[in-house]
Amino acid sequence: MDTDFCRKEIMPMEGRNKLEIKKLSKVFINNDSFEVAIENVSLDVKENEFLVLLGPGACGKSVLLNIVSGLLKPTSGEVYIDEKLSQGVNSQIGFVFQNLGVMPWLSVRDNVAFPDKLHKVPKKKRYERAQKYIDLVGLNGFEKHYPRQLSGGMKQRVGIARAYASIPEILLMDEPFGQLDAQTRYSMQDEILKIWNQNKKTVIFVTNNIEEAVYLGDRIILFSARPMTVKGVYDLNDLKRPRDYTDSRFLDIRKEISNHTDLVIK
Amino acid sequence: MNAMMKNSRVYKILLNILPVISILLFASLWQLASKNGGIIPTPLDVYRRAGRLLVKPVNNISLTGHIWASMKRVLLGLLAGCVVGIPFGLLIGWNQKCCDYLKPLFELVRPIPALAWIPLMTLWFGIGETSKTALIFTGTVMPVVINTYTGVRLIPQINIDVASVFGATEFQTIKEVVIPCSLSAIMAGVKTAMGTAWIIVLAAEMISANSGLGFMIIRGSDVADLPLVIFAMIIIGVIGAVLSWILTFAERKLCPWKVEIN
Amino acid sequence: MGNPNKIENEVAALREENKKRKIRTIVRGIISILTFLIFWQLLCTFGIVNDKVLASPIQVINAIFTKIVDPRPDGNILIVNILASFKLAMIGFFLALIAGLPLGLLMGWYRPVDKLLRPIFEMIRPLPPIAWIPIVIVLLGIGTVAKSFIIFFTTFVPIVINSYTGIRETNQVYINYAKTCGYSNWKIFCTVGIPSAMPLAFAGMVIALGNGWGTLIAAEMLASSSGLGYMILMGRNYGRIDTIIAGMLVIGLIGLGLTTTLRKVENRVLKWRLK
Repeated sequence: MDTDFCRKEIMPMEGRNKLEIKKLSKVFINNDSFEVAIENVSLDVKENEFLVLLGPGACGKSVLLNIVSGLLKPTSGEVYIDEKLSQGVNSQIGFVFQNLGVMPWLSVRDNVAFPDKLHKVPKKKRYERAQKYIDLVGLNGFEKHYPRQLSGGMKQRVGIARAYASIPEILLMDEPFGQLDAQTRYSMQDEILKIWNQNKKTVIFVTNNIEEAVYLGDRIILFSARPMTVKGVYDLNDLKRPRDYTDSRFLDIRKEISNHTDLVIK
Repeated sequence: MNAMMKNSRVYKILLNILPVISILLFASLWQLASKNGGIIPTPLDVYRRAGRLLVKPVNNISLTGHIWASMKRVLLGLLAGCVVGIPFGLLIGWNQKCCDYLKPLFELVRPIPALAWIPLMTLWFGIGETSKTALIFTGTVMPVVINTYTGVRLIPQINIDVASVFGATEFQTIKEVVIPCSLSAIMAGVKTAMGTAWIIVLAAEMISANSGLGFMIIRGSDVADLPLVIFAMIIIGVIGAVLSWILTFAERKLCPWKVEIN
Repeated sequence: MGNPNKIENEVAALREENKKRKIRTIVRGIISILTFLIFWQLLCTFGIVNDKVLASPIQVINAIFTKIVDPRPDGNILIVNILASFKLAMIGFFLALIAGLPLGLLMGWYRPVDKLLRPIFEMIRPLPPIAWIPIVIVLLGIGTVAKSFIIFFTTFVPIVINSYTGIRETNQVYINYAKTCGYSNWKIFCTVGIPSAMPLAFAGMVIALGNGWGTLIAAEMLASSSGLGYMILMGRNYGRIDTIIAGMLVIGLIGLGLTTTLRKVENRVLKWRLK
C-alpha cells in the first residue's frame, strides 16, 4: 500500500542525459506566410542539473519549452526523456508558466493540490502534501487566500509550489520571474536555488536576463533570435555557489555572453 | 465650469438635489396629465386601487397568488432552459466536432424571436400551462446556450494548458477548469434569460391565462380599469428589479474570486 | 543542406491540414442541416406526425410562395405584411436612436444630466415593453402611432444603457491628453468621448433592434390587422401550420437581415476599431 504518493527517485548517474532534444524545428503558419520559430536545435540536459536557456525576448524559448512539455507538437525532430521518445504530455514534467497560470477560482491550497486532485489523491492527503510545499515556498498562512489577494511574487510562488507538488522528474520554468519587480526577482532567485538544493531535480529555466542566467545556472545555452538556433553553450560548474553579482569572474562571464548575444539584453 | 467650482460643496449639494427635482417634476406632470386627460389615473387613484386589491382580489386570486403564478411559470421555464442549455452550450463550446454538427442547427433557430413562437406553441400545446412553459423554455435556452458557448470559448488557453501539463483527462479538464472558468459567463446568460422569460410570461399571460400579472394587466385594460393596469406594471417593475438583484447576488456567491470592476 | 526544402515541405503539409480542417467544418454543417431537413420531411411524408401539427418543409416553402400572391388567411399578401412590420420597426427604432443615443451619451458625460434624468430612466427600465402594450392601446388606440411607440420603448432602453456605459468607459489617458491640448469639455466630449463610446453603442443598437423586432411581432399579435405577427396569429386561428412556420421563417430571416446590416454599417463606421 502506498503510504505516500511518491515517485521512486531514480538514482542519479553522473553524466547521464535526462533529456535530449534532437534536431528540433518548429514552423508557424500565418495566412500568407510562415515563420520558422525554431530551426534545427539539438541539446542535452544532464540529470539534476540547473540548465538555463538564455536568449533575446520572443526568440522561441517558450515555444521550445512548450514542445518539451508536450503542449505543442514539433514540426520535425524529437524529444527523448530518459532515452525514450516523448510524445504528448508527460506527467513526469512539471511546468511553471510565464503568465503565472495560477487558477483564480481556487485558493492557494487548492492550486497547489491541483495535480494531486487530478491523480485522485484523497482530500486529506492532498492538503497535507500541499501544505508541505506551501511551507517550502514560504507561503504558510496564505493557504485559504485567493490569487487576486496575492502579489505577483506570491502568485509565482504558488505556481512553483504546484509544479513541485506534482513531483516531476524534470521541472520546466518559463521566465517565471519576468513579471516581477527587481527586488522580488532577486529574492525569488535565491528562493528557487534554495528549493532546488533541498529537492534536487533536473531544472530547465528560461530567461532573457543574462545576470539571472549566470546567477542561477550550472550551464547556460545561448540562443539566437528567430529563427532560433543554438549559439553557444557555457559551462559554469566551476563558478562556486552562492554566486555573487559583483564577483569579477561573474562579471567576466557576463561580459563574454553579452558580447556574443544577438541583441543587447538587460 | 472650472475645476474649482466643480469641487465646491454647493455644487455637490445642488447635484444631489437634481434627482429629487426630476422625480417631483415627473409626479406633478403625471398629476397634471391625469386631471386634464380624464382617462389617466392620478397617482392617488393607483394607490387606492392597490388598497382595494388587497381586499378584493382579481379573479379570486390574491395579489401574491398572481405574483406567484407568474413567478412559478418563469422559474419552471428557466430551469428547463438551463438544464438543457448549459450542457448543450458546454458541448458545442468544447468539442469542435459537435460544434461543427450542432451549431448550424442552433443558428437556424436562433434568429426567430421567442415571441414569434406563440402561435406555434399554442397550436401544439393548447393554451394551458404546458405551452407557457414550452415558450419560456424556448426563450431561455437561446441566451443560455450562447453565453455558455462564449464562456467556454473565452477561457484563457493557459488554464487549459495547466490542466494538460499536470495530466488531466478530458473529463477532468471540463470538470475542474472549463466549468469554473465559464461560470460567470453562464450566470450572465441566466440573467439575460431571466429577463426574456419575464417578457414571455407576460405576453403569454396577456394572450391567454386566468392568473398572473400579465392576466391582471389585460383584465384591467379590458374593463378600462387603468389604476389596476398601472399598479400591475409597478409590481412587475419591482419584481424584475428584485430578481435581477438576486441573480447578481448569486453570481457573487458562486464566483467569489471575481474582481469587482467599478 | 536540404534544410530549406524540408521546411517548405512541412509548411505545405501544415497548410494542407488547415485547409482540410476548414472544409471539414463546412461539410459537417451542411450534412447536419440536410439531415435535419430530410428527417423533418420524412416525418411529414409518412404521416408519423399528424399533419395538423406539423407542416413539411416543402409545404412551408409552398406556403411562402403562395402567400406572395394569396391574401388568405389573414387578408394581406406577404409583401404587405412584411412592409407593415418593417415600417413600424424602422420608425420605432430610428426614433429611439435619435432620442436615446444623444441622451445616453450626454448622461454618461455630464453629471448634472445624469442626476436629473437617471431616476426617470431607472423607473422605466425594469418594465418589460410588453407590459406597456395595454396601456398604450388604451391611450393611443391600435394605430401606427401606438405600435411605433411600443417599439420605441423597447429599443430606447438598450441604446441608452449601452451608449451610457460606452462613454463612461472612455480611456482616461485620451481624455487627459485632450485636456493638455487645451480642449474644452464639450470638444473632448465630441472628439474623444463619442468615438470611444461607439462600439458599445452599436452593440446596444443591435440588441435593441433584435428586441424591438421581437416585441413588434408580439404587439402585432395583440393589436393589429396587418404585419407578420398578425399573419402567424391568423395562421394559428385558421389551423394553417404551413403559414405559421412560413411566417416564423420570414420573421427570423428579416430579423437576421436587420442585425447583419447593422453590423455591416458598424464595421464601416468603425473601421479604426481593433479586433
